[in-house]
Amino acid sequence: MAKIKLENVSFFYGKGTAYCKEALKNVNIEIKEGSITGLIGHTGSGKSTMLQLLNGLSTPGEGKVYLDGVDIWEKPKEIGKVRYRVGLVMQYPEYQLFEETVEKDIAFGPKNMGLSNEEISERIREAIDFVGLSPDVLQKNPFDLSGGQKRRVAIAGVIAMRPEVLVLDEPAAGLDPQGRDVILDGVFKYREKTGATIIIVSHSMEDMARLCDDIIVLSHGEVVLHGTRDEVFSESQMLERIGLAVPQITLLMHELSARGIKVNNGIYTESAAVEEIARLMKGTK
Amino acid sequence: MVNSDSYIKIENLSISYEEDDGGRTSVLKNISLDIKKGEYLAVLGHNGSGKSTLAKLLNMILEPDEGKIYIDGKEITDPNMTEDDVFELRKKVGMVFQNPDNQLVATIVEDDVAFGPENLGIPSAEIRERVDEALRVVGMSEHAKGEPARLSGGQKQRIAIAGILAMKPDCMIFDESTAMLDPLGRRDIMNTIEKLNREHGITIIMITHYMDEAARANRIVVLDDGEILMDGTPAEIFEKQDKLRECGLDVPQCVGLVHSLKARGINIEGECHTPAACAEAIIAALNKRDGKN
Repeated sequence: MAKIKLENVSFFYGKGTAYCKEALKNVNIEIKEGSITGLIGHTGSGKSTMLQLLNGLSTPGEGKVYLDGVDIWEKPKEIGKVRYRVGLVMQYPEYQLFEETVEKDIAFGPKNMGLSNEEISERIREAIDFVGLSPDVLQKNPFDLSGGQKRRVAIAGVIAMRPEVLVLDEPAAGLDPQGRDVILDGVFKYREKTGATIIIVSHSMEDMARLCDDIIVLSHGEVVLHGTRDEVFSESQMLERIGLAVPQITLLMHELSARGIKVNNGIYTESAAVEEIARLMKGTK
Repeated sequence: MVNSDSYIKIENLSISYEEDDGGRTSVLKNISLDIKKGEYLAVLGHNGSGKSTLAKLLNMILEPDEGKIYIDGKEITDPNMTEDDVFELRKKVGMVFQNPDNQLVATIVEDDVAFGPENLGIPSAEIRERVDEALRVVGMSEHAKGEPARLSGGQKQRIAIAGILAMKPDCMIFDESTAMLDPLGRRDIMNTIEKLNREHGITIIMITHYMDEAARANRIVVLDDGEILMDGTPAEIFEKQDKLRECGLDVPQCVGLVHSLKARGINIEGECHTPAACAEAIIAALNKRDGKN
């Protein structure tokens, strides 16, 4: 069964006014349990709006959002429970840190869940391990940390709630390559260890190609593609047409094709490209 | 003596920040760097390596502890500089920051672009000309009467660039100016930067975390913990893949591919840091093989 299902979901900003904008148009998607699904689209395509629907921060204008087959708005008073189960890491989450110590900041979510102190410490240890922070940062003031470390603290704060679905909005934006790798590896580990479902927004097609099982492409509020990453990246011309980039490796394949060399235009990872070029070099004219 | 060729000259520059406990953390350590007029320089380095601090020193937002900076032959670190001197120098070196929403001040696009030249006391007829020209260069003329709030991130960054262009700078510093943009916005800004450099002769200093962006510059400087670790052309820098990875950086995907092919005994020679260059290099390698056969 799908972990998350959106059924005929539409969302409007400023409904009933002259500025009414339909940010999502009749979206129907199913997200497999335990999968890592990438969500890509240009600025204003509806990505963040969709993420906010998944944990009940916004209510759909039309349609239904299901978690494990249950409409999340069936009992509106219990929406808080949905928010523990679907953890949302917003863009630039380091701006939301507010406690005196890293430990207190990460503990904020689990405390609200009413967990025991031992359970909370256990979860904090586990969470910082996922994001690659060492225990000696726990007593530090989060504002004394580097930008990349603050980001990891913020993500740990969500992971400490052990969400069944972890939703991340551009978790690596603005980080250097090493900072990016630590966070993306942490997300991957979290899925491997807990079997959680991951939904991640990124503008980096290279990151998406490396991390995701499935990819959803949004354009102007509509789902224009939803499939495995192989299926989605093989549609590179369409991706470029709607204002998205394709991985540099795919561009290389296009450049070769344009120069009359027969290569597979759907290649998006370095390892596949190595095989393809090796094959080319072995062949004769 | 300042070399007539160099537009920005940095000599033995050091700066540190004071910590809460009274200690000092060194951010830049005895850096010397020459930047030529019309150069397109990318600055790489992991978070905290001192890139943004360097940019802020060049625009006099920060003052160094030690060392000198010359811009266009004039020492900007001279403690006897008057306020007018600072004003003159800030016109020459403009800065574009990361967040497009933090840089626009007016509610109409053309008013925003006029803000800089207005503060310079330029006659209004000339401001009009400069604003129109600046918007034309960044391709935003049709939005002149629009509201910045209704523009996309990439469009907002182009307005921020136009606002600096209207002050007629010699040099522009981009501090991760594409980090918050989508691929289309990034492409727009990268194309605009290239145009400013090639067609308008503006010296560019571009701080970035994207290796494919750095690959488009003429020269790359790699900062690591406050020191210059590497300085060279993109081809020279990206050849040292292991050294880059050691300091938390990476190479463009195409360069990584060529390195992996080499490990398999397949040599692709020549510049490979952009997809087009890499395709040419692969074809050259294919032709060479066929020539030998």
